[in-house]
Amino acid sequence: MNNFRLTSFLTSNIDIDKNNLESLVSQCKTKFVKKGEYLLKEGEKCKHSFFVEHGLLRQYALDDKGKEHILQFAPENWIVTDRESVYFDQPSAYYIQALENTNTILFEESLILHLSKQDPLFLEFNNKLLHNHIRQLQRRITLLISATAEERYLDFVRLYPDLLLRVPQWQIASYLGITAESLCRVRKEIATKS
Amino acid sequence: MKTREVELVVGPREPHYVGDGFRVHNFIPSAYRLDMQRMNPVIMMDYNSKFNFPPSVRPKGVGVHPHRGFETVTIAYKGRIEHHDSSGGGGIIGEGDVQWMTAAGGVLHKEFHESEWSKKGGEFQMVQLWINLPAKDKMSKPKYQSIANDQINRFKLADDKGEIEIIAGEYQGIKGSATTFTPLHLFNAKLKEGGLATFSFPADYNTALLVIEGNVVVNAENKVPTDNFVLMANDGETFTVSADEDSIVLILSGEPIDEPIAAHGPFVMNTRAEIAQAFEDFNLGKFGFLED
Repeated sequence: MNNFRLTSFLTSNIDIDKNNLESLVSQCKTKFVKKGEYLLKEGEKCKHSFFVEHGLLRQYALDDKGKEHILQFAPENWIVTDRESVYFDQPSAYYIQALENTNTILFEESLILHLSKQDPLFLEFNNKLLHNHIRQLQRRITLLISATAEERYLDFVRLYPDLLLRVPQWQIASYLGITAESLCRVRKEIATKS
Repeated sequence: MKTREVELVVGPREPHYVGDGFRVHNFIPSAYRLDMQRMNPVIMMDYNSKFNFPPSVRPKGVGVHPHRGFETVTIAYKGRIEHHDSSGGGGIIGEGDVQWMTAAGGVLHKEFHESEWSKKGGEFQMVQLWINLPAKDKMSKPKYQSIANDQINRFKLADDKGEIEIIAGEYQGIKGSATTFTPLHLFNAKLKEGGLATFSFPADYNTALLVIEGNVVVNAENKVPTDNFVLMANDGETFTVSADEDSIVLILSGEPIDEPIAAHGPFVMNTRAEIAQAFEDFNLGKFGFLED
C-alpha cells in the first residue's frame, strides 16, 4: 500500500482493521497536481476533500479588487476542502492551488457519508476531525479580531513549523491578515529580541 | 599502495532551479548510491553546468534562507555571485574564487548573480558543496573563508602540463588554502592536453571527482566526459587522472564522520530533535535577520 501517510493517519486515529482500511483506501482516488495548478477554482462545484500525501496546497479567495486572501495552507497530513460547496451544494468562493508538486488523496462526500452510516468508529473519527477543525477556526477568528501581528505570527509558526521555508513571505502575510511590510517588521523585532 | 578503482560514473541528472539563478544538477544526495552517508563528509553537491543566462536588470538568485550544522563551499568557474548574510558579512565570488561558509550554529544568507554581471549576462558555471560538521562543532560560531583565486596554493605539474589548485587539504606537501574541521582534500586539477596527475588518499576516505571541463581518463582505462561525476571505490588509495584535452577536474576526498545524520531542508544535524529545534530557532529569529 503506497498511501503511506493516509494509512498511518487513519490507523493512528481510528481502531480500524486491515481489511476495512484497505477497502477504504481502495475507494479513494489519488491526484497529482504540479506546482501552480488548481484543484478548485471560484465558481466551480467542489466535489472532494483533499488529503495531502506529499506537497503543499493553499486555499484562498479573491476580493473585488483581485487581491488574494489565504484561508488555509495544507502541507502533508492536512485536509483541505470547501465545505459550503461540497456539503451545501453551492458554487465555490475559493481557489485551491498547489504551491509545490503535490500528491493528494480525494475523498468523495458520498464515501464519507456512507462510512459514517456504516461504521460508528469512522463516525466518531470524522466527528473528532470536525471538532478539531472548528477548534482551529475559532482560534484563528479570535487571533484575527484581537491579537497583535506578533502573536499571530508566533501562532502561525507553532501551527506550521516548516512553512516559513516553503511559502513566500507575502503569502504568510496574507494568511495573517497583515501587510508584507508588517510581517518583515515583526520578524525583525523578534530576531532583535532573541 | 593499492590502486583505487572507479565504483560508479554518474551523468548529470535533469537540472532544476535553486531560486531562479542556479540551474543545477544534483549529484549528492539524490543520485543512485550517492546518499549523504556514501560521500560523507560531502553531503550535498549541486553542479550548475555551463549555462548561458540572458541579461537581467534584476539579479537572479536565491533569497534569504537559513543553514545550520554544516559548511557550504561555493566554487565559481564562470560568472560572478554576490552574497549577503545575517552577521553583516557579504562579498563577491568571482571566476576561480572559492567561498567557504561555516554555517555551523546558524546563519541566514542570500546569493544572487552579481548585479553588474547580471546586467550583461553570460556563461555561468559553479559548484556548491555542503560539508558536514562533527556533532561537537555543529553549533559553533559561523565564519567565512573567502579565497580569491590568486590566493589558492598551487602545485605545478612537470613539463608545463597543468597545475593542481589546492583549495583544502594537502597535495605533494603543499597545504590547502582553507582550513577544515575534519580531514578533507579539495582540489581543482587543471590539466593540459596529455597532462596526468596522481592522487593518493587513505582507502577509507570517501573520494569522488567531477569533470568540469574537457574529457579525462581515470586509471588509464575509464573515459569520463564533461559534466560527469565519478565515485571512487574504497578499495585502495591511489588513482590517476589524465587529460585527452585541456581539462578541469574537481577532486574531493574526505574522512567520513562516523555519526548519524538527520537532515531536513537546510538543516543537517544528528537527531530529529535537533532538526525540530533548528526549525523553532529559525522561526523565532535566533538565526538573526536579513532583509529580503
